[in-house]
Amino acid sequence: MAMAIIRPKTMRRRLPSWVSPSFVIGGAVVLFWLFATLFPHWLSAFSPLDLAGRRLQPPSPDHLLGTDALGRDVFARTVYGARQSLPIAVLVVISAVLIGTAAGAIAGYRGGFVGAAIMRLVDITLSFPAILLAMAVAASLGPGLGNAAIAMVVVWWPIYARLVRAQVLEVREREHVEAAVAAGASDFRILTKHILPLCWTPVLISATMDLGQVILLGASLSFIGLGARPPTPEWGAMISDGTVYFYNWWIAFGAGMAILTIVLGFNFIGDGLRDYFDPRSSK
Amino acid sequence: MLNYIMRRAVAMPFILLGIVTLAFLLTTITKGDPLTAIVSERQMNNPEIVAAAKARWGLDRSLPERYVIYVANLVTGDMGTSFVTRRPVSRDIAARLPATLELVIAAMAIGSTTGILLGLLAAYYRDSVIDQTARLFSLFGSSVPIFWLGLALLFVFSVHYHLLPGPGRLDARLTPPPSLTGFMVVDTLLAGNPAAFKDALLHLILPSLVLGWTVAGSISRIVRANMLEIMEREFILTARAKGAGELRVVFRHALRNILVPVLTVLGYTFAYLITGAVLTEAVFGWPGIGSYAVIAARSLDFPAIIGVTIVGGMMFLITNLLTDIAYVFANPRVRLN
Amino acid sequence: MSVGISGYFAGHGRRWKGLLAATAFVALTLSFGAASAKTLVIARDMDVNSLDIHRSWCETCIIYNEAVYEGLLTLDANNKFVPVIAESWQASDDLTTFTFKLNPKATFSDGSKVEAKDVKWSWERLKNIKSNGSGFADTIDTVESPDAETVVVKTKGPNSEFLNIISATFFGIINSDVAQAQGKAIAGTEAAQSDASEGWFMAHSAGSGPFVFESYEPGAELRLKRNEKYWREPAKVDEVVMRQVADSVAQAQLLQSGQIDVAMQVDAETAKTLTSPDVKVESVPSFNFIYVAMAPGAVENPFPMTPEIREAISIAIDRKALREFTVGEGNGELISVPFPLHFPGADGHAIPEYNPEKAKELLAKAGKGDGFTLSATFPKLNVYGVDLSIMMQKIQQDLAKINVTLDLKPVEMSAWREKISTDHIPFTVGYYSPDFYGTSQFVQTFGLAEGTLWFKRGGAERDPSYLIPENLTLMAQALKSKPEEAEKVWFKIGENIKNANVVIPIMSPNLLLTYSSKVHGMRNSAICILPLYEVSLDD
Repeated sequence: MAMAIIRPKTMRRRLPSWVSPSFVIGGAVVLFWLFATLFPHWLSAFSPLDLAGRRLQPPSPDHLLGTDALGRDVFARTVYGARQSLPIAVLVVISAVLIGTAAGAIAGYRGGFVGAAIMRLVDITLSFPAILLAMAVAASLGPGLGNAAIAMVVVWWPIYARLVRAQVLEVREREHVEAAVAAGASDFRILTKHILPLCWTPVLISATMDLGQVILLGASLSFIGLGARPPTPEWGAMISDGTVYFYNWWIAFGAGMAILTIVLGFNFIGDGLRDYFDPRSSK
Repeated sequence: MLNYIMRRAVAMPFILLGIVTLAFLLTTITKGDPLTAIVSERQMNNPEIVAAAKARWGLDRSLPERYVIYVANLVTGDMGTSFVTRRPVSRDIAARLPATLELVIAAMAIGSTTGILLGLLAAYYRDSVIDQTARLFSLFGSSVPIFWLGLALLFVFSVHYHLLPGPGRLDARLTPPPSLTGFMVVDTLLAGNPAAFKDALLHLILPSLVLGWTVAGSISRIVRANMLEIMEREFILTARAKGAGELRVVFRHALRNILVPVLTVLGYTFAYLITGAVLTEAVFGWPGIGSYAVIAARSLDFPAIIGVTIVGGMMFLITNLLTDIAYVFANPRVRLN
Repeated sequence: MSVGISGYFAGHGRRWKGLLAATAFVALTLSFGAASAKTLVIARDMDVNSLDIHRSWCETCIIYNEAVYEGLLTLDANNKFVPVIAESWQASDDLTTFTFKLNPKATFSDGSKVEAKDVKWSWERLKNIKSNGSGFADTIDTVESPDAETVVVKTKGPNSEFLNIISATFFGIINSDVAQAQGKAIAGTEAAQSDASEGWFMAHSAGSGPFVFESYEPGAELRLKRNEKYWREPAKVDEVVMRQVADSVAQAQLLQSGQIDVAMQVDAETAKTLTSPDVKVESVPSFNFIYVAMAPGAVENPFPMTPEIREAISIAIDRKALREFTVGEGNGELISVPFPLHFPGADGHAIPEYNPEKAKELLAKAGKGDGFTLSATFPKLNVYGVDLSIMMQKIQQDLAKINVTLDLKPVEMSAWREKISTDHIPFTVGYYSPDFYGTSQFVQTFGLAEGTLWFKRGGAERDPSYLIPENLTLMAQALKSKPEEAEKVWFKIGENIKNANVVIPIMSPNLLLTYSSKVHGMRNSAICILPLYEVSLDD
């Protein structure tokens, strides 16, 4: 960001419009965590699960972020933590987008009783405090990242349903759709060929930003004990461990920074995308 | 539009019924022993005691039966008795709601002031260092895990430097004032106890700061975007041409014209905060309904879980409805339609 | 007190620490004033489930019960009986009839005399209300009051532990006239269905103890004030405030800054930060213990868990290192039988030696040398200062060395209870603290015979091979015997349970008493945790 501030405006003009500084920085951060997800062993010599040294040691050259209550290397656990959070966030967002898009498309295009029923279900689900709903579902299904992921899909799909429905309602009125209707195209074809392709921009922007939000909620669930099971190195659970050993601040530090940077990264990318697709919104 | 709001208002009870139903269904998929909070571990072996407990709390009835009884009672305002506190759930919630509201209102005050000021500054000094810093600040607020930020601030300000008090609403040594409004800050004042007032205020700082920060971002973004649009409008240019001072231009002419979108986002933010307070309450030992919900969920306190869900959902719905109404009244064009 | 759950609420599950800290401090509804009065402020993670002594079963409750409702007798620091309301008592030779003479001076807080009819009414209500304490009254056949100062109890069978049982706080004496008139409390056989006085008991008290109820706000605080009409020497403090502070660190901080006088759940790691000269930290042996357990009848067992395999797992656990990792050396005793330290029959059992090599051999002999996976669902809690999750992860590391993989699944207490009583759990962890000073309660829980809790939990309906029916006859024998003989029998039962390796006791964590140096008279009691009557406060 500092770079963005000092960079002269003229220079920015010359770059392709999608290469906004925030997009670049966000991309770099996300790429770093993607790298950590794929090759964590290149970043840390220690295993995230095994004893690496004496317990509760403060940061040192050997253990960059110290060791935890079981003598495990906190830096290794932080790096390996990306393997939990990132894939799950992607999976949750894709599932929520698919379910939400289908529901929203049907509600927007068909309307009628089915549409109304879907939207009432959306209203009801969205009337639940998100974290409480996720807690209730995760607690009912039992602990584990898989169940936490299901809980998050339950929380997120209505958001996309609403978004897509609004888009569909707007696009439906356009001329080319009316032309397709007049030409006797099937509903399915009209939806998939003529309507949905025009709806995906806001979904994409929203989905990118939601990747960060899903990571946050997932970590929150783990923090309150409804997500990852020990000894899985998961960021929310690591912060929770840190609250037990409150004075050993380093146990939670890496995980907190990890969540912060990756969520910031996705927000930057989402911002960049929005600037590109919808320059009016931020200029 | 008025019609639309009327329809929304009429639909509310049905949505509420939906919430109750969903909450009820959620309790059935739970693979937990509902007697956890009622019958002690070793007495689980005693069939007489288990049977008596089930009968007393209605757990020997079928789910549909319980559902019908619950809804019938709910109509009269009876939300049942909590398994854990052994008091009416409505009374528990009434006792804890003010704490949550106090936190949310304080967070709202901090979040909206910061958000609006940042938005104005960012728009005015567009693309400058100020704009970028404001943007980073807002993004940070919506990206940081609130539970970690809360812990870190507690560690720094309370444990390490002893600048601010730890969790809770009031120092344990101070006798709490009589609860008149339920707002600790107000009650201590009403009781004429400046020391307690100061303490309550200090306790409120960290949690409301953390919670307020998370929403300042979205508010500043809306303010900035709308300001940028307005500032290019003719009447602003006219005002400027007429030699109006910059402050006057921003606060008199521009700000007034973006009131509607800002009001809307504030309304939704408030609704979000009511629910978003859960984790903050958790970290800061804040005795509101969020923490009540968590305790209820942990101990499978069915009446409390359903009660708190209903109240949370209701507040969410009402706030959104009020926001819509405010929107209509603040925007004459919408009303005419 | 009653086992699991109270610990569940009291035990500030660390995962949830923050969340339960939710209910920290707080407090409402109290008026200002009385600045010069001596107020003892105690920070606790309160677990109050009821202030009706017959329905209560939490740690905070029994502190309250003991302070407000007195029993006929109680235990001193050496676990010896001392008279309270009863002046003297006598047991028949066959240990089935117990006669108590009440102290004529004993009065309730309203000034009226404590009479035999109150004892009869209280104990009948306990028995008939079919709530948590009722199980202890099952042994009672009849309670008679031939005159106002004499109570005669007949038990269903010989019971050498009867006096121990009635020293439990559930057997406190309620002012029956007041409870019936004001609280509409019912003691008859219809009590289970008709008694609706719990709400009254949560806002009033009607006992003869040194303190009386003042106010209670759930999740905030419980206030007691001195009983001004107390019939013995009055309590040494004017008021006791128990404040909700869920988390160990917060409790320590408050104590350090002098905002509270006693912190009841500071764990060993946090206690190290208590450096103020005005704070005392005392590590005393407790009556609580933690065990791991393997259910031979668990649905998820990959194959029958034979005694050899169970023994292999038991000796593959490095108990000393485990203690070091959880509470730290010197802050807990290793144990091998599921009886609290120094209870009858509890002492003198050898601790199984850590021997991974032998464990491997045993597994190889059983044909499982290549290892296997055990599902390990456990309550995600912090009990007695031990984070069960840390403990299980340490055991996971130990067992990995003999190729046994633990699949850890920390769950809510409610989910754990459901699972352990339906499908049972291949490998889990549990904890226990006594309800009274006596060993029969532990045999009824861990006896591995029909009718005991672990008959169900071990999954005897699917695999009864681990049962030890002999324990029941031994218990009957112990209940008929004089203390010295009984002690030997309890010891034998302990050995039986230990050798079965189904319930594998690990340790008894010390209790950390952390309090201001102004406080005197702190001790850990087997029946009421902290006897408030004995506590005093300097100016």
